[in-house]
Amino acid sequence: MQHREHIAGIIFWGATALSAGVTLAVLGFMVILSLPIIKNDMILEVLTGPWSPDHGLFGILPMIVGTLCIALLSLVVSFPVSLGCSIFIEIIRPDKPGRFLKKFVKLMTAVPTVIYGFVGVFLLVPQVRGFVSHGSGMCILSASLMLGLVISPTMILFFSQSFARVPKTYLNAVDALGGTQFQKLIYLLLPQAWPGILTGIILAFGRAMGDTLIALMISGNSVVLPTSPLDSARTLTAHIAMIIAADFDSIEFKTIFVCGGILYLMTSFGIFLARFSAGKQN
Amino acid sequence: MGKKQIKIQIKKLGFYYKNQQIFENICIEFEKKSITSISGPSGQGKSSFLMALNRLWESIEDAKVKGTILMDFGNGFEDIYHKNYSVTELRQRVGMVFQVPNPLPMSIYKNIEFPLKLRGEKNKTIIAEKVEQALTESFLWDEVKDRLSSDAGLLSGGQQQRLCIARALVLEPQVLLLDEPTSSLDETSARVIEDLLVQLKKKCTIILVSHHIDQVDRIADNKLVLSDRRLEQK
Amino acid sequence: MGKNVWDMLLGFFAWCCAILLVGSMILIIGFLILKGYKAISLELIFANTSPLEALLFKQQVFGGLFPAMVGTFFLILLSIGFALPLGLASGIFLAEYAPDSIKKIFSLCFDILAGVPSIVIGLFGFSITVLLHHSFNSQIFPCLLISALSLAFLVLPYIIKTTQVALESLPLLLRLTAPSLGATKLENIFLVLLPASISDITSGIVLAIGRCAEDTAVIMLTGVVAVAGIPKSIFSGFEALPFYIYYIASEYSDQFELMKGYGAAIILLLICAVLFGISHWVKEWLTAKTRFSY
Repeated sequence: MQHREHIAGIIFWGATALSAGVTLAVLGFMVILSLPIIKNDMILEVLTGPWSPDHGLFGILPMIVGTLCIALLSLVVSFPVSLGCSIFIEIIRPDKPGRFLKKFVKLMTAVPTVIYGFVGVFLLVPQVRGFVSHGSGMCILSASLMLGLVISPTMILFFSQSFARVPKTYLNAVDALGGTQFQKLIYLLLPQAWPGILTGIILAFGRAMGDTLIALMISGNSVVLPTSPLDSARTLTAHIAMIIAADFDSIEFKTIFVCGGILYLMTSFGIFLARFSAGKQN
Repeated sequence: MGKKQIKIQIKKLGFYYKNQQIFENICIEFEKKSITSISGPSGQGKSSFLMALNRLWESIEDAKVKGTILMDFGNGFEDIYHKNYSVTELRQRVGMVFQVPNPLPMSIYKNIEFPLKLRGEKNKTIIAEKVEQALTESFLWDEVKDRLSSDAGLLSGGQQQRLCIARALVLEPQVLLLDEPTSSLDETSARVIEDLLVQLKKKCTIILVSHHIDQVDRIADNKLVLSDRRLEQK
Repeated sequence: MGKNVWDMLLGFFAWCCAILLVGSMILIIGFLILKGYKAISLELIFANTSPLEALLFKQQVFGGLFPAMVGTFFLILLSIGFALPLGLASGIFLAEYAPDSIKKIFSLCFDILAGVPSIVIGLFGFSITVLLHHSFNSQIFPCLLISALSLAFLVLPYIIKTTQVALESLPLLLRLTAPSLGATKLENIFLVLLPASISDITSGIVLAIGRCAEDTAVIMLTGVVAVAGIPKSIFSGFEALPFYIYYIASEYSDQFELMKGYGAAIILLLICAVLFGISHWVKEWLTAKTRFSY
């Protein structure tokens, strides 16, 4: 019996180690397969230069900028709406309407991103095109609007949870002193819950950076450095999806591993930040 | 009056939780086939004391125990903390009933059968006999004999607690530890369990943590108080 | 006490946001259904082949969604098959065996894995293929097996976290019950703890299934193709619904194909909605069955 217990313990430990190994292996492979670029001292060029394979330029800077722009804009679009929705759920109408909205938001997480992308192509893009009267409608703005919708549930649920965690005794105290809902929000809830809100923002930003389909289908995929939200842009994720068809031995191909590595590091950094800020609310 | 027969000998027992000392240097003996009650203020370690006797504290993180506990199960005194001593066997000889009834989410029959299955008993006839015996000893058989396959969670509080006692009894333990077994029950149900324990005394050595002075006065042969980190006669 | 101006503004703002959110979703889903409901038919799925023949794999389906649906189905089966044992075992380890310090490190690890973009996971799967191709068997190409394995890596952290949280949230009294009756650690885990947390774990698994059904980025890099028929073996190429939808959006050649795209989108949406619903009701149903009052 002792023997069996011991073996079971080892099996469980092994499974966990293997799973954790995957996490490290992903980064490892990205680094290893980027080695040709690192070894040839091209890494700086790749990280900061423009992309033009025909001229021997393999810089992914436009893609880094593209990723950051789209992620940031979608955050800007989504944050107010998400905050408003979580205020709705927790403060304004926590009864039936709020419960409905919360269930609705949870249901939203079940919608595949490719569906958002598909509808984006056939509904949103033509509208943007008509509105702006030049360009194809496939631009940073279109992608950000759709992406904003995709990352809203993450933020809404996180914000709601943070508000709900504020101890009831504090809320009762403000009520007893005759505070209005607005005052309760500004003077109590936001100050108490801001770490959770920050965590939600960080996680949503990570999610936005990591999206592939929406950017691939709606953002236009141009390799020129974008200068306005109406410009077409390419993200690191879309770049990977597009260059995978190239010749494996080319430098062009190797850059996608650099992209992968950067994405990994950026999202991991986000996780560290989120952990740090989440630790602050407790 | 014959010579006192000792079941459990405790020497210099100390209990520590998260590096805080709960109690220390407890030396006491428990007589065979008697009911010993332990009372005292809350939070002084009465539950921890019981858990030291069946080593259940080992399932709790940050808990530590020092000292010696010897128990006589018929072959002389055994050190239950000896490194080769099987914890699972110990718990089959030293049963425990908790403050809040904790039936497993199964039928009444399966609850009582559970410890038997753990011990590897496969013979269905023997199992059925032991289940009936345990339920009878717990004054519960008549109330449930027609609904053994119904969910144990549907029983009343008092019935659930008697179920837990039956479950603890099915392996015929020589020692029974009860941690405030009637504190979540009404007066009538509590009395039923008190009568039950007096009957069980004939087979088991019973150690009972209890807050109710009346209860202690009614059924305890030996009354101890755990306070100021010391365990003493009342 | 009249309503404060700020309160009214706040309420107005919150209502606007709620309506904006719900309205946008209704717009999106509504657009899809309106444009695509006409495409929904058996013909969409089975084209010119008889449904019975197709379901029994007796005849290939050309021009219908059936191969993509079969591809998605096998993808789910294989990836959950990989991820479930590994994830359960890891979750059990973290909840029941690991000391606090180790738990924190592994938890961080799995949070990071959960945060890695799916395309990078796909790239990882692709890299593994390359490695196997060069070191072992040059017949190995991106295929169903590699895709399933990569999807397994994608959902692994979710299964681990679900299992761990489900076990850790069990009350202390329940954890102590079986040990107090003489059960070993393993017996406690398999006879009491896992059955008691089955509702949470199952709903987590169903959500993982949903994730496998909807993912496009991972499979794009690891073996999915636009046309492949029913996968002949785990080493062959395959089709999948989400990829089909993406493919149509960028490569459709006529209205007919576009309509098939809409139809596929509706079907995928339905599948994901059903899975979501199952996850919810399974949890409620199982919780009622394994209810304990403490």
